[in-house]
Amino acid sequence: MKRIPLAYWFLLPAAVSIILFYVLPVILTFVFSFTSMASDTGIYGNHYVYSKNAIRALEKSTLNRDIFKKIIERKYVFDSESLKIISQSKIEKKTQTEIEETLPGTVYSTEKALFEALDKLKNKPRSFRDKKIISRATIRSLNGEEFIEISEMRVAFEKLQIEVGEEDFDLITEVTNTSWHWTTKNYREVFSNPDSWRIFKNTGLYVTLTLGLFNVGCALIIALLTFYMSLGQSKFFRSLWLIPRISPSVLYVLLWRDLMDHSGFISYVMGYFGVAPTNWMGEFPWVTIIVINGFVGASMGMIIFSSAMQAIPKSLLYAASVDGAYMWQQIRRIILPQIRWPILFIASYQTLSLLTSFEYIQLSTDGGPARDTEVWALHAFHTALSNYWGNLRYGFGATLSVVLVVIGIIASITYLKLFKFQVLLQEPPIEN
Amino acid sequence: MKIILKKFSKNFGQVEVIKDMDLEIESGEMVALLGPSGCGKTTTLFAICGIHNITSGQILFGDRVINNVPTQERNVGVVFQNYALYPHLTIYENIAFPLRIRKMEKSEIDQLVQEYSEMVGISNLLSRRPMHLSGGQQQRVALVRALIRKPNVLLMDEPLANLDAALRLRMRSEIRRIQQETGITAILVTHDQVEAMSMSDRIAIMNDGKIQQISTPTEMYSDPKNTFVAGFIGNPPISFYNGVLQKNYFVGTAMKFELSEATLSNGIQEEQKLEIGVRPEYVHPNFGDEVEGKILFIEPQGRETLYDIELDDGQVIRSIQMGSQQYQMGERIQWGMDHKNILVFDENGENIFSKLYGTSPKL
Ligand SMILES: Nc1ncnc2c1ncn2[C@@H]1O[C@H](COP(=O)(O)OP(=O)(O)OP(=O)(O)O)[C@@H](O)[C@H]1O
Ligand SMILES: [Mg+2]
Repeated sequence: MKRIPLAYWFLLPAAVSIILFYVLPVILTFVFSFTSMASDTGIYGNHYVYSKNAIRALEKSTLNRDIFKKIIERKYVFDSESLKIISQSKIEKKTQTEIEETLPGTVYSTEKALFEALDKLKNKPRSFRDKKIISRATIRSLNGEEFIEISEMRVAFEKLQIEVGEEDFDLITEVTNTSWHWTTKNYREVFSNPDSWRIFKNTGLYVTLTLGLFNVGCALIIALLTFYMSLGQSKFFRSLWLIPRISPSVLYVLLWRDLMDHSGFISYVMGYFGVAPTNWMGEFPWVTIIVINGFVGASMGMIIFSSAMQAIPKSLLYAASVDGAYMWQQIRRIILPQIRWPILFIASYQTLSLLTSFEYIQLSTDGGPARDTEVWALHAFHTALSNYWGNLRYGFGATLSVVLVVIGIIASITYLKLFKFQVLLQEPPIEN
Repeated sequence: MKIILKKFSKNFGQVEVIKDMDLEIESGEMVALLGPSGCGKTTTLFAICGIHNITSGQILFGDRVINNVPTQERNVGVVFQNYALYPHLTIYENIAFPLRIRKMEKSEIDQLVQEYSEMVGISNLLSRRPMHLSGGQQQRVALVRALIRKPNVLLMDEPLANLDAALRLRMRSEIRRIQQETGITAILVTHDQVEAMSMSDRIAIMNDGKIQQISTPTEMYSDPKNTFVAGFIGNPPISFYNGVLQKNYFVGTAMKFELSEATLSNGIQEEQKLEIGVRPEYVHPNFGDEVEGKILFIEPQGRETLYDIELDDGQVIRSIQMGSQQYQMGERIQWGMDHKNILVFDENGENIFSKLYGTSPKL
């Protein structure tokens, strides 16, 4: 047997974690995107629910009409379960005993029939309230019922004295089965839903503006400014810009919320200019999410750009000044071309991270108002994991994520083409 | 454009690199700056072109003090020690860079780049990038980039260090020709004294941030101001020998001879410590017999042969003689020195009115 080199064993933990935490989730997301999984289907499947939808479907089906009627009918049944509930109620003991002796096994199809039967008892219930208690204890209906196993459903049918042939039973189980199934409907929905387009445009705007104004733009400007500053000053400014990055995101956003509140700092300052106190975050949701994300994102670009600029041989800048280039020309003709690769790196890295991260938006505007600042990743999150209307659609959320992954890949390829990556990778000669 | 440095000093933080340097370079003159590594040559050039602010003193171009004139406006061409070519630009764009900054016409740029690149034989490399050029090729690009915008002053930091012998010879005369044709004032930093002597009008020798001596190559050789200059100039190098003055004689433990009038008439005292410098061509069997010892080392150089002679007190004196090897290693010999051509230095290493008269050795 060929021996596996030791190095591979050292790589094993890393490989395992990469597969577990990076590759597997992507594959699973892709798989889930082709399912109809949602909170009402569960992930494990095989629930049988007599929901409104299911009953409507049964009505339209070829199911025997009598059986259908029986299914939707209410029934009042005296079985061990109902007797147990009655025995624990406050109904008189005499009445209870008589019910236990005479009624077990009987089934009534209306409340009226039930009440008549009760009235015939020697120790009939004394009040309408007692009758109601018995009614509630004995009522049985499939409407709204939920079964986990087919066998449970059979038992229920027996109790309700519904006789069903195998064929009809299969039909019923098929219609009431709410478990998830394989489908491409999610993808069709992504492309046909008018919301998608709106959110797509939101995302484009958000990524472009945050990236251009802050993550690259602002980062570049600070890096350039500090490049021409003395060492102490530049260190101070750079550390200042790092604060948002190292503060916990919840605290950071809370701080912004306070700042932009009615009674916050911005309202306070603007008060001096005669502006009425305003909820700035609600008033300018777009400015909010771009600034909040930008302040955090700019620090990374700044650090990368600064160190890339430090790495430019000083003699190149000397040569440029000797050749007559002033600061602006040096920046344009020497510094920027020299740090092209870091810029590409930051642009593509930040594009991807802006596309996929949404925590600051979630914490500040949560996509609002009126889903105005809803971006794709947040949309996926809302769809699959957290929303107000209750049904969490895991499958559709996964589809949204897959679309995001595809967009990310397209963006990366575009960047590589744009920056002529091939040229950057040209082989240098031996000496250098 | 005349360049004048007046009491120019440069510190890097606590480190004093240049101390009160005075230097005057005539318009159209080419001066070679020669000195050991780390003595401050590059620092001096950087101060002249304005890359470094100077700590104190004055720098003048003509009669204008340019201490506060920014680099961009000094119109100085610089060939950097490490070439400093722009790695992201093609050779063409590297050479055209200063012209582009000056917003020159495209056609004019094209013509100039062609003309200058042909001059140094790199016109076939214009489309490449610096990292795909050999060291020598890069050096020529750097030279052309410095020259193309016709600067008033040209500063070259070891511009020929990476060239092969043949190309170096050609470039020497090429640079010198361009410099003389354009009448540009130039400073050439070099480690190679042959280069310094053959290319420049005057040589300035630097050590420890000070100019030791500035003069013509011949004078530098025959009348060095101190032991440093004497030792730095001349190949094979001069040999030194320690002794004292007794009566009119220089007396060492293994040697004794009478000193010249010029030296003696300058107030040196009895028993003063002295150091003599003897250039190898003035040590020869025909000169006498005060150099007595055994041959320690022989270095045949083809046309000449170099002998290191260990005197009986352990000090070494070098001799160079025409022709192939005549003596054997370890052989005891008794040679002499040409007394007229011996340099005498005091205990601080300063020359005491001695110089070489250049009378041809009796070979
Ligand atoms: N930026 C700096 N900070 C501190 N010391 C410096 C700096 N630049 C140069 N020096 C010191 O100044 C001295 C002179 O440096 P310089 O580069 O001028 O030497 P050089 O004569 O050009 O040497 P070489 O022949 O090796 O190029 C050196 O001792 C060097 O260490
Ligand atoms: Mg140097």
